[in-house]
Amino acid sequence: MYTYLITGATSDVGMALIKKLGSRGRFILAGHGDGEKLKELCRQLGCEYLYFDADFTDSTATDRFVEKVSACGWEPTHFVHLPALSVVNTKFKNFDEERFLADMNVQVLTAVKICKWLLPKMSKAKFGRVLFMSTSYVLANPPKNTAAYIVAKSGVTGLMKSLATDYAANGITVNCVSPSMIETKFLARTSHIIVESAAARHPLKRNATVDDVVPAMAFLLSEEARFITGVNLPITGGSVIE
Amino acid sequence: MTREDIFARLTDIFRNVFDDDEIVLTDSTTADDIEDWDSLEQINLLVAIEKRFNIKFQLADVSHLENVGAMVDLVARLIA
Repeated sequence: MYTYLITGATSDVGMALIKKLGSRGRFILAGHGDGEKLKELCRQLGCEYLYFDADFTDSTATDRFVEKVSACGWEPTHFVHLPALSVVNTKFKNFDEERFLADMNVQVLTAVKICKWLLPKMSKAKFGRVLFMSTSYVLANPPKNTAAYIVAKSGVTGLMKSLATDYAANGITVNCVSPSMIETKFLARTSHIIVESAAARHPLKRNATVDDVVPAMAFLLSEEARFITGVNLPITGGSVIE
Repeated sequence: MTREDIFARLTDIFRNVFDDDEIVLTDSTTADDIEDWDSLEQINLLVAIEKRFNIKFQLADVSHLENVGAMVDLVARLIA
């Protein structure tokens, strides 16, 4: 029985991934704010789940989350790390350092803390799948005025490469997916001009949907993807080609 | 709001976006007159203008703006 630990599970990508994986295992889910829709989805799918509300901007809250997951008795075979603060579009000189720290806490430090606890366990089990959400922005020239987001996502991809190297001998794969802009509620605070012009510039004249992205994620989490590790997979529909 | 008022506010926005307090806008100012004015900064300008004037652009309306004068006219129409 697989046990999926998914952080940022209340996101549209998180919910779509749970739907896709539903029958394959049970879920330890972390979100922040309204978790009702997520719980309803799990009830509809009839899957076993535990839900934790955790504010990952606060590193002590992250520590408490890891303690709770550790005490719950379910040992994750898979870890999917999705959370991110919405992208702030601000001139570099106007960014405050707190924003950088908050982004680093949510995206990087949370993954570090969870992996420090979890990867030794996966190593003993000689099996593990770890997947981080990155962005196509790190694959080429990033958009202007998004430094905090880019720094954090670059941290995530760096951590992925390090862990993939450190744990390759233990049957654990660690990868990233880097989608281009996905139209989800994550963009709620992003100007419609930015979203629409990204679609207009895209070769397919549209942005990605969760259904464009989730199948690739499910594949990287599958048994069959055992020989793929240390990869940052672009899912861009051709808008960024490395 | 007069056309002059819109110009004054746009000048503020341009100076902030391009980080240059010496920018002076006229009806005929185009992207060729401001060194860093590229398609990405164009989007940042539009986002800042929407916010400042509390208006919503349609992408089709803003993708072929000829110059600052056309931008001012569009803003004037949207706040009317």
